[in-house]
Amino acid sequence: MLKELLLEISASEYISKTLLAAKLGRPEGLIEDGLAQLVRLGYLAEGSGSSSCAVKCGKCPYASLCGQDPIRTLTITTAGQKYIDRH
Amino acid sequence: MSKIIALVGNPNCGKTTLFNALTGANHHVGNWPGVTVERKEGQFRHGNEVLTIVDLPGIYSLGAFSEDEMVARDFILSGEPDVVINVVDATNIERNLYLTTQLLEMGAKVVVALNMVDEANSRKISLNTGALSRRLGVPVVPTVASKRKGLEELAEAAVSLMGLAPKRSRYHLSYGESIDAKVAELEKVVHVEGLVYPPRWVAVKLLEGDEHVLRMVEGSLSSQELENFRRVYEEVAAHSSDLPLEIVDGRYRFVHAVTSSAVRRPSEGVLTLTDRLDRVLTHRYWGLPLFALIMFAVFQLTFALGQDLLGGLVAGGVEFVGEALDGLLLRVSAPDWLRSYAAEGLIGGVGVVLEFIPLIVILYMLMGLLEDSGYMARAAYVMDNTMRAVGLQGKTFIPLIVGFGCNVPGVMAARTLENKKDRMIAILINPFMSCGAKIPIYLAFIAAFFPEQGALVMFSLYVLGILVALLMGKVLSSTLFKGDVSHFLLELPPYRTPTLRNVLRNMWDNVSGFLARAGTVIFVVVSLLWVLSALPAGVEPYGPESILGRIGSLIAPIFAPAGFGNWQAAVGLFSGIAAKEAVVATLGMVYAGVEEGIELVSALQGAFTPLTALSFLVMTLLYTPCVATLATIRKETGSAKWAVFSAFYSFAIGWVGAVLVFQVGRILGLG
Repeated sequence: MLKELLLEISASEYISKTLLAAKLGRPEGLIEDGLAQLVRLGYLAEGSGSSSCAVKCGKCPYASLCGQDPIRTLTITTAGQKYIDRH
Repeated sequence: MSKIIALVGNPNCGKTTLFNALTGANHHVGNWPGVTVERKEGQFRHGNEVLTIVDLPGIYSLGAFSEDEMVARDFILSGEPDVVINVVDATNIERNLYLTTQLLEMGAKVVVALNMVDEANSRKISLNTGALSRRLGVPVVPTVASKRKGLEELAEAAVSLMGLAPKRSRYHLSYGESIDAKVAELEKVVHVEGLVYPPRWVAVKLLEGDEHVLRMVEGSLSSQELENFRRVYEEVAAHSSDLPLEIVDGRYRFVHAVTSSAVRRPSEGVLTLTDRLDRVLTHRYWGLPLFALIMFAVFQLTFALGQDLLGGLVAGGVEFVGEALDGLLLRVSAPDWLRSYAAEGLIGGVGVVLEFIPLIVILYMLMGLLEDSGYMARAAYVMDNTMRAVGLQGKTFIPLIVGFGCNVPGVMAARTLENKKDRMIAILINPFMSCGAKIPIYLAFIAAFFPEQGALVMFSLYVLGILVALLMGKVLSSTLFKGDVSHFLLELPPYRTPTLRNVLRNMWDNVSGFLARAGTVIFVVVSLLWVLSALPAGVEPYGPESILGRIGSLIAPIFAPAGFGNWQAAVGLFSGIAAKEAVVATLGMVYAGVEEGIELVSALQGAFTPLTALSFLVMTLLYTPCVATLATIRKETGSAKWAVFSAFYSFAIGWVGAVLVFQVGRILGLG
């Protein structure tokens, strides 16, 4: 499944777990797990479009608004790209 | 000695509910030795037997990636538990069975508690427990721990399994011919007396690159065994960088084979509403215009509700407080300077900023609706496409979206970009976004000059900020920060129905932040400027001879080509470097000081024309960021040079933009 998932991602324009689940005929929970495995194995790199919670916002009155709903991004790493090229 | 049952499962599978249901109050909590992971242990009676049950941490896998995984793995491998009850969430069975395969590979005696079957039924997920049990080769017992259903049967299955020899099961999962051969090779060299763990499991873990198991193996072998092991290990692992992926995939294949005949889901392969909506909202050609249309509708509604329905609400309150405060100061015979400070500084300055709260409330409620629905990720996606189309790294748009709230976290969000080139561009173009602090300036000038076209003006300013950011991004990426564009994918979460609680919380966080700024930064800036407007002693307050007036007059000629070369506007822009909201507060104060009781809107109408108001708005959108943003730029780039660069280059761009608007407008006869 990881191979198919990685190949599907490389052909996608964005990550939609529901769409990937429908395309691969697997439940969404499994797709989520597969993405986590690909990140753990170093084929995908995860990013988050938000200042991290580790940032000290001090007494900024807007601090509670930061990092509430981060936009998640995934990048295919060099290892991931090599794997895709081989398959 | 009582028999021991280990309870293991994924997070949120109902494992703790099952533990509590079995043990009742008869349990205690401690820590696993040497780690901070909680150990819960309890007893329960089944027939005549008292059984000890150990609740292991919730985990997805049995690798060595966390303390939780290590604790669970070591406990099961220790041979201490007589049986492992693997709690599996019936609604998410495919994901949960990944852990089950690893338990089976470890040789544990497993009973599967197929939990939450009631919820699976309500979701129309059909489960064939007999088929599952046959394919897995272990007992599978349906349970509903929260309703104490299936507990007796589960305990019975566990006890029955305890009596069966051997203690470890002999389960073999095939990873395909090539990997199986490698496993067999390794199995031979780790099958030694000093190593108590199942050799096949050890071999698979070694091929997965498990450093912890490798150290354990190396520490358990004699020098000759170690030499033999290293030779074989190097041989089988050579040229196989994808082995860990192939092994994980082997487990997924097994799970798929198990569930394909035993689990039926109603919606497999069916496109969801989210996917159907995304086909329209993220469309290559329609996505961007739809985003623009949605934002325009947000601004239109903001003005319709905030201005037409609620407008004047806070203004009336501020006026009332002003009069009451003045009356009080009169009654206590307060000195004139204090009455002036209260009327022009506090009410004219800080109070005027508060008058825009109704509009801000509505704007952030509508933005909260969009955010909570999951649409903002789509907005990032369509902008990403646009940025790629002009040869820019689309990922830089994510910090820009954060910058719509406040440029400080927007600049900080750039740290999530991998390469320095992208980070620098994202940082340097972030201040062109219409942050929340610029909104009161827009609202004040819209109220004075464009009350009928408020949404259009506001929308145009947002769009102009994005266009300038794109243009400058392009310039920076072709000059100072050249490099390749890297490919990335945005995750689009499913759409949700926004909840009132989230929308109100988002609105309140913004409004309370705005109020806190009014009571702190803006208050301090206005107070300081009020002092400067009254000094030196003897000059006419708020006159050109005051220190404030002289500073303003010194700067004002710079803005003459943009059409607003008066000292009040110059001082307003100058104060905006401390905090953007201070622009409106300062204008409110200086105009209230010149003509007592005059409203800011009327004062602006007297000092600006619609064309100069537009050029002033363009200036405030693009010019020097506030000090907090500049300080963050310095911190994030690690150099004061880039903060100074940002201050001056954005001022220059703001000035050029404002001059262009005014001069072109004048040529077109709009002045």
